[in-house]
Amino acid sequence: MDVNIIYNIEHEMPLGILISLYFYLTGLSAGSFIISTFAYGFGMVRFKPLGKMGVVLATLLLVIAPMTLLVDLEQPLRFWHLILYLRITSPITWGTFLLTLYPMNCVVYGYFMFKGDMKRTKFFGLLGIPLALLVHGYTGFILALGKARVLWNTAIMPPIFLVSAMVSGLAMMILVVIIKDYIIQREKEHNLTLIYDLGKLLVASIVLDLILIGTDLTVLLTSHTEAYKAALMLLKGEFSRLFLGVEVLLGAVIPLFLLLSPFTKRSIPGLAIASILVMIGIFAMRYIMVVGGLSIPLS
Amino acid sequence: MLIDLRRCIGCHSCSVACKAENRVPLGVFRSWVKIIEKGKYPNITRHFLPSLCNQCDRPPCVINCPVQATWKQNDGIVIIDEHRCIGCKYCLASCPYNARYVNPLMPIVQKCYFCYHRVYAGLEPACVEVCPAKARIFGDLNNPEEEITKLISKNPFQTLKPEMGTYPQVYYIAGDADAMDPFAGRKEWM
Repeated sequence: MDVNIIYNIEHEMPLGILISLYFYLTGLSAGSFIISTFAYGFGMVRFKPLGKMGVVLATLLLVIAPMTLLVDLEQPLRFWHLILYLRITSPITWGTFLLTLYPMNCVVYGYFMFKGDMKRTKFFGLLGIPLALLVHGYTGFILALGKARVLWNTAIMPPIFLVSAMVSGLAMMILVVIIKDYIIQREKEHNLTLIYDLGKLLVASIVLDLILIGTDLTVLLTSHTEAYKAALMLLKGEFSRLFLGVEVLLGAVIPLFLLLSPFTKRSIPGLAIASILVMIGIFAMRYIMVVGGLSIPLS
Repeated sequence: MLIDLRRCIGCHSCSVACKAENRVPLGVFRSWVKIIEKGKYPNITRHFLPSLCNQCDRPPCVINCPVQATWKQNDGIVIIDEHRCIGCKYCLASCPYNARYVNPLMPIVQKCYFCYHRVYAGLEPACVEVCPAKARIFGDLNNPEEEITKLISKNPFQTLKPEMGTYPQVYYIAGDADAMDPFAGRKEWM
């Protein structure tokens, strides 16, 4: 039957690229923090060169990330209301405290690491892991509890966010190590096995990420009408190029190929390209989740 | 609030009255009338869906507001403290009814609150008073003597998106499923 909408009101999309950027930056921060604790928290000696880099990056990124949130507020000068008038059911309130505790822990952990106090470094490293997981997991909850938006309102959102944080964190680490070894400290001896080990971890996390995305899509496709339409939006609608082309093909399939094929998995340019593509793909994922989720009509 | 769509003539008086009463700026609406047309000539009808904040019994906007700037009062009306709102817009993202907006002149979130300044003065909301067809009925559902309670008791009614678990408090009589479906009539979403 023919149905035509003659008149309707749709309000402007409330959140946009700034929020996607925020999710992206916290993801990178959580990822690099966890990589930094491989050596200093769990004693995996081969990852030791990443410890200091990881904690510095994690802290810096987490200083920038809340700035994007502050800029996105309509009344940035009222940000202190978040601490004074908190409501505990809101995931943003959880975030207020996590975004305060986590960088503080990062700074303390980094301080002891640079001082060489291994016992305390290990303690604060292990303390930081749940914080890092929560600081990124809560962003998944922000989307999952926005129950009006069918693309967000799924229990798999926090795990997807955690795994994609790991993916983007590993890719950034590979890039940073390559930049450090081949551009800044060209004369020194390079630690190639470190990069290859990171590459292997990246393969594992990309595969896990793809599995979670596939699970999410399968359930969306077989769920109620609105969910089905959201899945179609990703597969052949407005966001299909970004989703299939950038997030899945450029951001996961091509990097997997580069990391696994015998010609490129031991070549530094191959790994660098794979990491850059992965980082672009994860940003596309954040953008599709926020903007795509909001573009589904409500009225 | 009950909206009897058998009586609605789609005149947009409610939208205009709301704009005037609450000084709603250009480009945003607290109350509007969605109009759809379905069928092929000569078998064709128009259906109206006056839309506004549903004053949900379990409002996701209230649960998700991080600064307690919005809450549900004992009388059932969900209101916003404009001095406390920080404009994080999470409530806009959480509302299944597209009822909230950011005021373009004064950067805070606003929405319909059943004209509570009028209700407390013993008047009806502006949209109810102005409706020439008397399609909107406002009252207390706990009072069996009120017209709204009698109408809801005697007629089949619908609410918008009951599957969201929000328990919306705007009831419709003779609502059209296509008008209530956000996807109906959107070719790009079919």
